[in-house]
Amino acid sequence: MFERLRRPWSDRRAELVLGAAACLLAVAIAAMIVFIVRGAWPTFQHEGLSWLGSGGNPDAQLGAMENTTSHPPASAFLIHAWPLIYGTVLSAGLAVVLGLAISVATAIFIVEFAPSPVRRVMSPIIRLLAAVPSVLYGLVGILVLVPFTANHIVTQGEKKSVAYVVQLSGGGLAVAVVLLTLMITPIMTALIADALQSVPRPWREGAIALGLNPLRATLAVSVRAIRPAIIAAAGLAAARAVGEAIVISMVSGGVSFSPNPADGTIFWFEPFQSLASEIVRSAEAINAPALHSTLYAFAALLLFSSFVLSLAAYLVKLPLRRYQVSD
Amino acid sequence: MRRPRRLLAFAVASAILAISVPVALAATTVITISGATASFPLVELLTHAYSKLHHNKIKFSVSQGGASVGIADVAAGKVNIGDSSRGPASTDPPGLDFYPIAKYFVCVVTNKSNPISNLTQAQVQQIFEGKVRSWSQVSGSSLTSTIDVDSRTSVAGVLTTFQNTLLAGGKVASPPATQYASEGQLQTAVEKDPNAIGFLSDYFALNKNINAVAYNGIGCNVANTVNETYPGWSFFYEVTKGAQVGNDVGHFINWIQTSKAAKKLIQTNWIPLTITAPTAG
Amino acid sequence: MASANPLAAPQLSPSRRRRRGRRAPVRSWRARDQALFVIAWTAGAGLCVCAAALVIFFAVQGIQYLHPDLLVTRPSVAATQAMSGGILDPILGTVLLAAIGLLIAAPLGVVSAIWVVEYGRPRWLSRIVESAVEIIAGTPDIVLAIFGLALFELGVFSPFSLAEPGGAFGRSFLNAGIIVSAVALPSVYTATRNGLIATPRQLRESSYALGKTRIATIRRVVLPAVRRDVATGATLGLGRIIGDTAIVVLLLGATLRNQPASNTPFIGLLRGTGSTLTSYVFNNSPAGDGNAPDKAYAAAAVLLLLVVLLNWGVGRIGRIGGPLIHEPSRRLGA
Repeated sequence: MFERLRRPWSDRRAELVLGAAACLLAVAIAAMIVFIVRGAWPTFQHEGLSWLGSGGNPDAQLGAMENTTSHPPASAFLIHAWPLIYGTVLSAGLAVVLGLAISVATAIFIVEFAPSPVRRVMSPIIRLLAAVPSVLYGLVGILVLVPFTANHIVTQGEKKSVAYVVQLSGGGLAVAVVLLTLMITPIMTALIADALQSVPRPWREGAIALGLNPLRATLAVSVRAIRPAIIAAAGLAAARAVGEAIVISMVSGGVSFSPNPADGTIFWFEPFQSLASEIVRSAEAINAPALHSTLYAFAALLLFSSFVLSLAAYLVKLPLRRYQVSD
Repeated sequence: MRRPRRLLAFAVASAILAISVPVALAATTVITISGATASFPLVELLTHAYSKLHHNKIKFSVSQGGASVGIADVAAGKVNIGDSSRGPASTDPPGLDFYPIAKYFVCVVTNKSNPISNLTQAQVQQIFEGKVRSWSQVSGSSLTSTIDVDSRTSVAGVLTTFQNTLLAGGKVASPPATQYASEGQLQTAVEKDPNAIGFLSDYFALNKNINAVAYNGIGCNVANTVNETYPGWSFFYEVTKGAQVGNDVGHFINWIQTSKAAKKLIQTNWIPLTITAPTAG
Repeated sequence: MASANPLAAPQLSPSRRRRRGRRAPVRSWRARDQALFVIAWTAGAGLCVCAAALVIFFAVQGIQYLHPDLLVTRPSVAATQAMSGGILDPILGTVLLAAIGLLIAAPLGVVSAIWVVEYGRPRWLSRIVESAVEIIAGTPDIVLAIFGLALFELGVFSPFSLAEPGGAFGRSFLNAGIIVSAVALPSVYTATRNGLIATPRQLRESSYALGKTRIATIRRVVLPAVRRDVATGATLGLGRIIGDTAIVVLLLGATLRNQPASNTPFIGLLRGTGSTLTSYVFNNSPAGDGNAPDKAYAAAAVLLLLVVLLNWGVGRIGRIGGPLIHEPSRRLGA
């Protein structure tokens, strides 16, 4: 029986078999979208799109869902997830902005100023930072950064001033943004540095010939030329930051609170919760039907947002096509 | 390999698999349990002992998640037994049987550097309901900082017990209280934060790294719970879907409730019961 | 501050200029440029310092808490919630999960890349496959985990985990392994695809000239040529699998020890629940149920060591694993 399989395959058969295996991937993606939307359907059915808005405390609403039975009434699906969405956008946005600034600066350093031995060593360092598992960042955060923030940075006066609203336990926006930035910067740096180096030399040399110093030449020519790459890197990093569940669940303070920028410095120490971290936190109770569909709705939102980020990056890059350095 | 030899090898391998799989499957039973984090240490002890007693023919898979999670899981048929640290509630799914296995109690706890010896009911209610937010307003404490209130998530049976007994029906205000998903996490939080106050089941509270507070002058300990002067107690339950008679699950629960070995294990940190009939949920 | 004409190049003798190479005469720049110079150096140095601090921190904690006997003792099911015992089960769990994940991701990734590069007809289908891989690469792992939960609730997958009265338990090594392979797939696919594109056309053409069919050429000529790329991609994917936490936390059942679902020697373990190094670290940190930061540090040190070794391996293996940041090309006009 195996003899037939060992005879040389015809190209036709090979193409079909290989193509079938490749199509498995497309089928898997389609299945993922279908399953997640199907799981999320009851929440959309009962709440429409109002579950994206604000109103009430998501922690309490999710808690109430954890006791639902197999045919919950429509009122059991009540959820207003805006604080979670706001937390996600806030933490990811701040991390991407900060990370972009640091990445561009580091990439310029690598390409321009780093002496040869340092440049050789940067490569493995960046690859290592990019490969560190997120749970290790979370561990450093929760065992070192959070107690440090709670004991040495947040003052008693600050705690008192928000005492009736929320508890400042050290974990919060600042620690989460620092860790997220640390996680996404290496990848962005690598992409941007690579792109900087693929800018044709004559472009830069022309600028230098006109009298700009090397740094200014890089900024004026190379960085402008690689804008598509910068946007691609930012999009990639944003997708990673939005979907990061473990680190946020370890260091964000565990309360679905919307940090208020009007609070001044306290804003940085207020706890928050993101969509992904809420999924991790509530996943044990997922057998409760109302909670089941709510968590799937969160996942659907995350999936949708990663699509949107890719699409946005693609669209923003389109008009920059004429630079044609890299994409 | 030549074709006939390959076929023979294939036939032998599949014969071995065909015989061994049902034999192996028939050999062990796995009972799945999920639920309360407060009763987890006790259930771990009991399942370990029971497994050994039956020469590992009966194995257990125990996970946590909180009392309500265990109840929901067993109602959905995802596990065989749910651990609960609270009695049946009206919001629970129908058709469940709650078998009490041990008595436990809940203590208010503070950090070691804030060794309050006693709190009245009024003080406990004010602190946990968010009305008093500073240690300077609490007599018995030498601190002047903001109170960090630590509580449990809503799936916790210990939270229900605490609210029903020590808060006399009140509710923990959260925010500002921080919610922790397990007894272990709450214990760590209070141990690390000098300004913290929380509540823990006795196994986690009677610990040299944490300060257990007396309630209305009555110390939080086993003796006061046994003579029922301390009010903050409840039962651990094993919850099943429908009466379990004559099967492995039923035998296990029966062993917990009646055997001497189980009683000895329960007595290490909790309070054993006399035999009680199941409460229909 | 230099008030000299900024358009003037620094006056250096030719020999000095050659020796100094690309050294920038920063002192003659304007204040703003000098500030940016400092910022760039700070950023670069800062990143190095962070990396060094991270590695040193975990190394120190690891030396403090990681005793050799921890590596070979199983986590003990003791009465205390402070999980005593060793980390053998999490290590074995990591190895098992990585094996399952790679065993699924590597063949699938290689085969898909071959099809897309070598065949690729109809065009719309190959574009869909490419997009699918990109989507997989961009999906957060928590969403993949949720998909796994939904997928394995189906009755057809019930043999993959513990059987329960209300349907399958849904969490097992097999289930987690299947989903975690999606994390490694894009690495293998991209590496293989780039390797295939990079092999010269002449290689294939000479094989066709000798009369081999396309599939025979792929098997005997092209694939061996991209072995290094496949290995690099697989190692990168392996690193990502080992570091994944969200999928493991949701799909592996989080039992302290690796508990087989039945007594069948290997299949029971695949269908059973367990833990990996990542979920062990998560559960023992204050964010999980455990109260044992020292065990968490020990497992974290082992995890970091594994990742560092894999990274070093990638650097040694292949083309793609070469310097991430290349030396600038010295060719004229390039």
